[in-house]
Amino acid sequence: MAVAPMDTIAPVQRPRHRTVSGGRRSRINGHLLRLPFYLLSLTMIAPFYWLLITVFKPPTELARTPPSFVPQSPTFANFYDPEWTAEGVNPGHLQGIFQRYQVDFGFWRFLFNSLVITTTITVVSLLICSLAAYVIAKHDIKGRRTIFLLIIASMMVPWQTTLIPNYVIMRNLGWLDSYAAYIIPALAKAFVLFFLVQFLQSIPNELIQAARVDGAGEWRIWWKIVLPLLRPALAAMSIFIVLAEWNNFLWPLIIVQSDEMANLPVALARLNSYFAGPDHQGAIMAGGLIASVPTIVFFLIFQKYFTRGIALSGLKG
Amino acid sequence: MASPIPLRSRLRRYGTSYAMLLPFLALFAGFLIWPLANSLYLSFTTFDGINPAAFVGLDNFRQLAEDDRFRHALGNTGLYVVGSVVIGTLLSLGLALAFNGTGWAHRIMRTVFFLPSVTSSIALMLMWKWVLFPSDVGLANTIMHWFGGKDVAWLATPGLAIPILVMMSVWGGMGYGMVLYVAGLGAIPQEYYEAARIDGASTWAQFRHITLPLLRPVTTYVVVTGLIGAFQVFEAVYIVFQTGANNVGGVLDSGLMIVPYLYDQGFTHFKLGYASAIAWVLFLIIFVLSLVNLRAGRAMKEL
Repeated sequence: MAVAPMDTIAPVQRPRHRTVSGGRRSRINGHLLRLPFYLLSLTMIAPFYWLLITVFKPPTELARTPPSFVPQSPTFANFYDPEWTAEGVNPGHLQGIFQRYQVDFGFWRFLFNSLVITTTITVVSLLICSLAAYVIAKHDIKGRRTIFLLIIASMMVPWQTTLIPNYVIMRNLGWLDSYAAYIIPALAKAFVLFFLVQFLQSIPNELIQAARVDGAGEWRIWWKIVLPLLRPALAAMSIFIVLAEWNNFLWPLIIVQSDEMANLPVALARLNSYFAGPDHQGAIMAGGLIASVPTIVFFLIFQKYFTRGIALSGLKG
Repeated sequence: MASPIPLRSRLRRYGTSYAMLLPFLALFAGFLIWPLANSLYLSFTTFDGINPAAFVGLDNFRQLAEDDRFRHALGNTGLYVVGSVVIGTLLSLGLALAFNGTGWAHRIMRTVFFLPSVTSSIALMLMWKWVLFPSDVGLANTIMHWFGGKDVAWLATPGLAIPILVMMSVWGGMGYGMVLYVAGLGAIPQEYYEAARIDGASTWAQFRHITLPLLRPVTTYVVVTGLIGAFQVFEAVYIVFQTGANNVGGVLDSGLMIVPYLYDQGFTHFKLGYASAIAWVLFLIIFVLSLVNLRAGRAMKEL
């Protein structure tokens, strides 16, 4: 989103009548006022830098004090160490992140699980929510007001309140430890529906009416007209859903029993509870890095939509 | 209104409408409404997941009122919520004021502060645990040594648990608030400032009388969503402060909060009835906070 270049601390667009020296002074003042925030940005970068260098240090270097701030002997061993042997006869070598899990395909399996779960929930929930939003916003049916009020009210329910009954439902259905338990309870998203209804209400009815006159069925109108109209809203919502589902932890922690069905957060949490030593941090951070790359790439590609989506949800609501 | 459309075709059209609503409503009823009612029922029972639930009335809630661990969890949550929301909101606003330009420097700074919002949250927790490692192989203690300090057992010092949790929350969340505030600033008409400058208003007066009042909706949103999110904190406690397989709240429960305690009672002790009572206390807190949030009220007016 094009943000107006406006600044109250140090005006970016200074009035023309100001002298050059006055301008420079105010620019220096601006930098001085910003100094604490520049310093604050160091506290943002430092932990990330620490994570990154950890990933490329061998286990022996990780256990050394004081720690090195540039990896002395950079290595990819924290991802995969060909010299590691199961008997532990090769001191100084630990399993890389891709060697650590006793499941088929190792760490790839969790990456796959997270990708499948996140993509499915995002696509299917947007379809389901947009269908319902279309009816609530544009169809004159009985009870739509009641239904919408109920959905709005449900937005005030912290999802943890339904955690225990939903766990019992999953158990009774025999869905524990399955993709179904990840995906199906996560599809009806009240916030998404609410947002889409609001968005649709701001769109005039003419297009839809014209299509009806032309004899298009409701399903066709939804697919051919409503979905394209909703595109900016769907983009904004998909960002929220992707981030939330990619990071989902408490629900998977409860429904996942086997190693195979863990998503990335649960797999990493398990690794964390098994290995506490500094020499293991390289592999753990490597796992964290891999888990972060997809969302960071997603962000860099759709950066524009991110800020717009956040702003839209915050300002419209 | 008497519709000229024949009854049968009207039925067909409404039939389609309900069919389109059905997937959402079925899932909504099955995994939200029913579980919500069910959890209220369970909160009045001794359900343990295996044996049939025995109805005990308000016993669970009475027990909660006297439960020292629960009181401790509530107190911790209160401190954490106030600390993280107040500091987080102020820094979000400060960052937005400092870096709302379109130049490359501002854009880089915004990206830097926003980065935690798009990084795997578990990865961030693991990162903090490693930064706060108890010996000087960790980053925090290395910095302590630079300034002549001694090793601090960051995560095992009860008094530090809540400050550390607040710090992690502010660190991870202020960039998100900043983006909201930057959007809010962009929506303020430039003319207001020009008029104020002509009237000779100081920068501070402009901020105080134009910027701040016009940012109020954003502030409400940042504060209320911040409060709601903070009350629900779980993985920061669970990942960073866990000391063993069955420990959820850290050393001496120093980091114990509402949702971690719910997990502890429900899924390590299998007191599902008791945990449901905790869930309903959380529900009431969030419900009241949400009512404050004008979002819902405005939406109801619109329909």
